[in-house]
Amino acid sequence: MSYLTKISLTTVGLCVAGFSAAVAAETKGPVTDDIGVVVIEPGAPILIGGYWALSGAEISLGLDQQRGVELALDAHEGTLLDHPVALVSEDSQCTAEGGQTAATRLATNTDILAVLGPDCSSSAAAAAPILWNAGMVSIGTSASSPTLTAADRPEGLQGFMRTMPNDLAQGLFDADYIYNVLKCDALASVHDGSPYTEQLVRSTNSRFTELGGKVVATEAVTPTDVDMRPMLTNIATAKPCTVYFPIFTAAGAQLIRQMPEIAGLENATPLAGSAMAAPGFLEAAGDAAVGLKFAKVDLESRGSAYPALLEAYVAKYGETPTEVFHANAYDAAQITLAAIEKVAQQDDDGVLYVGRKALRDALFATAGYEGVSGTVTCGPTGDCAEFKGAVYEWVDSDPSTFEIGKNPKKVYPES
Amino acid sequence: MEATADKSATPPAGGDLAGAPRARPGSGDGGMLGGLRKVKRFTFVDVVLWLLRIGVAFVVIGGAIGTLIKGRYEASQWVDFVVFGLTIGGVYALLALGYTMVYGILRQINFAHGDTMMAGAFSAYFAANYFKRNGMLESDAVIAMVVTVLVAMIVCTLVALTVERICYRPFRHVRSLAPLICAIGASFFIQHTFRAMYGSTVRSFPDTSWLNGDVSLLGGSMPVTQVLVIGSAAAAMLVLYLVVHKTRMGKAMRAVSEDRDAAAMMGIDINRVIVFTFTLGASMAGIGGILYMLVYKQVYFFMGFLPGIKAFTAAVLGGIGNIPGAMFGGIFLGLVESVGPALFLDGLGVPAPYQLKDAIAFTVLIMVLVFRPEGLLGERRAKRA
Repeated sequence: MSYLTKISLTTVGLCVAGFSAAVAAETKGPVTDDIGVVVIEPGAPILIGGYWALSGAEISLGLDQQRGVELALDAHEGTLLDHPVALVSEDSQCTAEGGQTAATRLATNTDILAVLGPDCSSSAAAAAPILWNAGMVSIGTSASSPTLTAADRPEGLQGFMRTMPNDLAQGLFDADYIYNVLKCDALASVHDGSPYTEQLVRSTNSRFTELGGKVVATEAVTPTDVDMRPMLTNIATAKPCTVYFPIFTAAGAQLIRQMPEIAGLENATPLAGSAMAAPGFLEAAGDAAVGLKFAKVDLESRGSAYPALLEAYVAKYGETPTEVFHANAYDAAQITLAAIEKVAQQDDDGVLYVGRKALRDALFATAGYEGVSGTVTCGPTGDCAEFKGAVYEWVDSDPSTFEIGKNPKKVYPES
Repeated sequence: MEATADKSATPPAGGDLAGAPRARPGSGDGGMLGGLRKVKRFTFVDVVLWLLRIGVAFVVIGGAIGTLIKGRYEASQWVDFVVFGLTIGGVYALLALGYTMVYGILRQINFAHGDTMMAGAFSAYFAANYFKRNGMLESDAVIAMVVTVLVAMIVCTLVALTVERICYRPFRHVRSLAPLICAIGASFFIQHTFRAMYGSTVRSFPDTSWLNGDVSLLGGSMPVTQVLVIGSAAAAMLVLYLVVHKTRMGKAMRAVSEDRDAAAMMGIDINRVIVFTFTLGASMAGIGGILYMLVYKQVYFFMGFLPGIKAFTAAVLGGIGNIPGAMFGGIFLGLVESVGPALFLDGLGVPAPYQLKDAIAFTVLIMVLVFRPEGLLGERRAKRA
């Protein structure tokens, strides 16, 4: 190596080191933080970002969670540390592209402390790295794909956590239920290509095979599909005893409507996933919903404060919840506000300083928080929700009869 | 309705009838030199196109043979696939007619047409629910359904005429993309207006007892709904065909399609013809929306978008501007979507072939556009000087 080359490399190395040091730590007021410090002037709002499906076919999922967050802010009367708290919402459309756009818009607002959402794993996978690159921790409110919090997840997901249980646990539960309770040894699974449904199906299939069952068909639809008959006919040739479809409302409703028309599936038991646990599904599926079972987190294991939240929800929005994850979103907002309260420092002039890494670490250190969705305790990879599975069954197709425990009725495990 | 056709103006594809390239007059080329030129003319694009042909032929023929050898599907299941394809294809065809007629008259694509169908479907949903509540949907099903269809057709027509008045008429004599962009804007406007008015939840068209059960047909049985949908779609298309080919207004439509200025000079009221065309297309969309709901049951603000895109695809497949082409394109697309994944992909061992249903449909579109840009039933248009 020539002398000139050595000098050049040394210079470049020093520049990189100096730049990294400058970028890595920032000091503002009394706070020094490895990622950066957000300064909130007296009277200025504390900004919380949020992104969910606020348009398109899955809007009921996103709107429900946005409302959960709004109710959490209401519970604080819209203020924290003498600052108003404002929610900056973006539409992620339950797609990767939508998530990317929403995250990019949120990331440009450097005053945002943390971001709540999204509702869909496909959005989270694309968006969370963009947010974390901007130093913003994000808390998924119903994104449950295992890869988002896997031990070997990429650097971009180090700032992602969630108040929704991981699908790995759901997959184990679902497979056990199909094999041991339904006594079925031939499973057909349907996903819609989204990370959530695909990985849940993979997890369930894998466990089902371990238990000794055979996965006779794995099919895929798109969330906007309306004609499920050809795909179901394809499945019927494999003669399954259970058709497992943890997909979203619109496609799921079509599937359950059309399944009885298919020769060869008369004796197969349909089993849906958590997306069907909403009154919106009853509107979409009509009478075909009656008798449908779906597996999800045990809704009756929610915290004792949930009835009060439900009451506030109905009072504020004039309707029953459109989905069930508003409780997870509510808890995500609550732990975020608690973490901000914990790490924020105020100077003599009333200016508030929040370190971004300190906020991320405080959120990841959340333990034993008794939320409305259950106890929230975060693990090192960002999984914060406890999982207790249950199987529910719809007993009435009238959406106004929606009441967890009655319609849908819990059928497993028996209380 | 046909676009101006002049086959004599069509450039010969690939040389003369004997297959050899024509020697340039006076060049003295011929024989071996001609052969060399032929080789030189075999460009990179030709290679790509041939590879495409071979690839598609492999998937279609190889996949079909593989599937048939596997013997996974019984004959009754193939019949089911065809019936499913005819059902959705009938709906695509009805919608495609709206696209193709507007294109034939205005040379513009009405991208709000799918949402026009959605508007009609929503109105029909409310009408049907009203009849369900008072029991007429069961006791006087024919009257209830006729009124429901009329409501859908009227609402579709109102929406379509509003789109025509706002998005097309102001730009009729301007050569620009403004009407296209305006129609796309209208599409989003209609979607979100309905979302704002009726919410974003997916609603279910009321169930009726007379739609349950099967009909015995050709030694097999078919669900009543599908028989009704296929039959109604065929009847609606026949009526439209007769209107266009056997009435004075139909003749006027065809005249405007051929040459709008000449038609105006012959005393044809162009505005009236255009309004009639939009009305006819919207009525077909209204019927299509009801048939769609009878089979798929769901109503929501976004429901018109994808069927609209598919129907547009069907219109292009059949040859945009060509009415029988739109009908054929719709049915063809429905059949490809329904039968294609099982027939072509199963035999090649592709996992979960039905997730590639749309990929197959749009690959067919691309192939048609590459090798027959005028569509399956379209005719080549003369180049204007």
